[in-house]
Amino acid sequence: MSKKLDTLMRVIFTLSAVISILAVTLICVFLAANAFPALREIGVLKFLFGRSWKPSDIPPAYGVFPMILGSLYVTAGAVIIGVPIGVLTAVFLAKCCPKRLYKLIKPGVDLLAGIPSVVYGFFGMAILLPLFGGSIISASILLGIMILPTVIGLSEAALRAVPESYYEGALALGAGHYRATFAAVLPAAKSGIFAAVILGIGRAIGETMAVIMVAGNQARIPNSIFQGVRTLTSNIVLEMGYAEGLHRQALIATGLVLFVFILIINLSFQALKNRSKK
Amino acid sequence: MKAIKFAAVVLSAVMMFTACGKTNNSTVAVITREDGSGTRSTFTEMFEITAKGDDGTVTDNTTLEATVANQTEVVITNVSGNKNAIGYISLGSLNDTVKAVNIDGVSADTTNVKSGEYKAAREFFIATQKSDVRNQISEDFINFILSAEGQAVVGKSYITVSDNAAPYAGEKPAGKITVAGSSSVYPVMEKLKEAYLAVNPNAEIEIQMSDSSSGLSNATEGLCDIAMSSRKLKDAELEKLDPTTIAIDAIVVIVNKENEVSNLTSDEINGIFTGKITDWSVTRQD
Repeated sequence: MSKKLDTLMRVIFTLSAVISILAVTLICVFLAANAFPALREIGVLKFLFGRSWKPSDIPPAYGVFPMILGSLYVTAGAVIIGVPIGVLTAVFLAKCCPKRLYKLIKPGVDLLAGIPSVVYGFFGMAILLPLFGGSIISASILLGIMILPTVIGLSEAALRAVPESYYEGALALGAGHYRATFAAVLPAAKSGIFAAVILGIGRAIGETMAVIMVAGNQARIPNSIFQGVRTLTSNIVLEMGYAEGLHRQALIATGLVLFVFILIINLSFQALKNRSKK
Repeated sequence: MKAIKFAAVVLSAVMMFTACGKTNNSTVAVITREDGSGTRSTFTEMFEITAKGDDGTVTDNTTLEATVANQTEVVITNVSGNKNAIGYISLGSLNDTVKAVNIDGVSADTTNVKSGEYKAAREFFIATQKSDVRNQISEDFINFILSAEGQAVVGKSYITVSDNAAPYAGEKPAGKITVAGSSSVYPVMEKLKEAYLAVNPNAEIEIQMSDSSSGLSNATEGLCDIAMSSRKLKDAELEKLDPTTIAIDAIVVIVNKENEVSNLTSDEINGIFTGKITDWSVTRQD
């Protein structure tokens, strides 16, 4: 009886595992099947490096280069704003935070992770739009805030994983509290912090709803950080509702480009994790 | 510690500077809808922002600097939050957080739209297959839409086709019909369906939302009984289908409430949205 149950449970577990793999495979197949005809018709180089996106014109133009740049600019901005704040917060939480304050800050940071992105978007529309308009800087600030929980959480875990002896050894050599933390503990947690940054980048590049609401969404290459941009994700969501035929396939191909970006990010995350294990 | 204080001072100075910079200049902030939106295509065609070449080319010349909003509400929020913004929405969605400008001296109100004096108006159509034997229930539903009751529903958000329609006097036939097409017409059709089912509980109506073109082709092929369209029917479609106007919608150009501009000419609107006019001072009459 119990052996039968064992077998049954094993089958159920295997099936559950297969479902998630199946989902990934299906998504890849769907993306490829829909994107490749469009890429062939438009031309891969014209699609990736074309500077003009005018799907409603006759003849239409499908160039996602402004959107690729847009995603990169906005993500870089988010990293510049979010990472220093996030890492320093993690240092504070792990090394010099009074216990009472920790009980207040930690749940606060966790709550930040749970806020839906539309709510961030509304916040951005109300606070950032009047200051900076729909622009790279607005989107970067908003995304910088949104990646904070990821960066803080993982960095803090990495800092806590550093053996206490590093810190104590530094103290014994005559370093002060801050010097010991920044010169001994922080470098030791380097790869963990890099991993946190990479996951933060992944979050920023994939974010859609909040970005659409504050980025301005112009499909052209911007000249300054006070101009608007359109990211890969917003390009898809903006036009998916009405698109048909080649336009629709071109949007799916945009998704493929995004997918490749995420793949690169995940692979570098894995590589970092493997290196830190050694 | 000093460094932090210094950074805080610099940051707030930068923020104040940019905030002032935005309110003092009068560069027009153009807000448009996304490519493929029916409102955008109607608007760009009305003001000849979309150029049609003799060789069949179509070029949407909306300025690339225009902020793209994917919903009417987002257009309104953007315009109400920026003193120099300009956008366009359906008259049905206009509220008092923004100001609608007159076009060529004509204000966007019901009377002017009905008389045809207000330029930026479009009709909402339904279309049925040309045939001698008409589906009893779809005919009854259309009669209801054009009746006093139906037009009262239309009048809540759009402009009615006629003011003195006769009250509904149908026989309340039983049966099922499918309505398909334009997403712009969909909301009012949903309300018309509710009102109709209240007077004729025997009927069953299914509404499918897609777009005008696919709704019309569905009706041609007999896949649906009534098509919804937010654009005029093309000649090829008119050979097979009978259109009926059920409502009139106007597109209003909106600006921030603090903006002194209250009238724009068609040329000015074209100039602003194609990026030829980039400063409000050009349009101010004083």
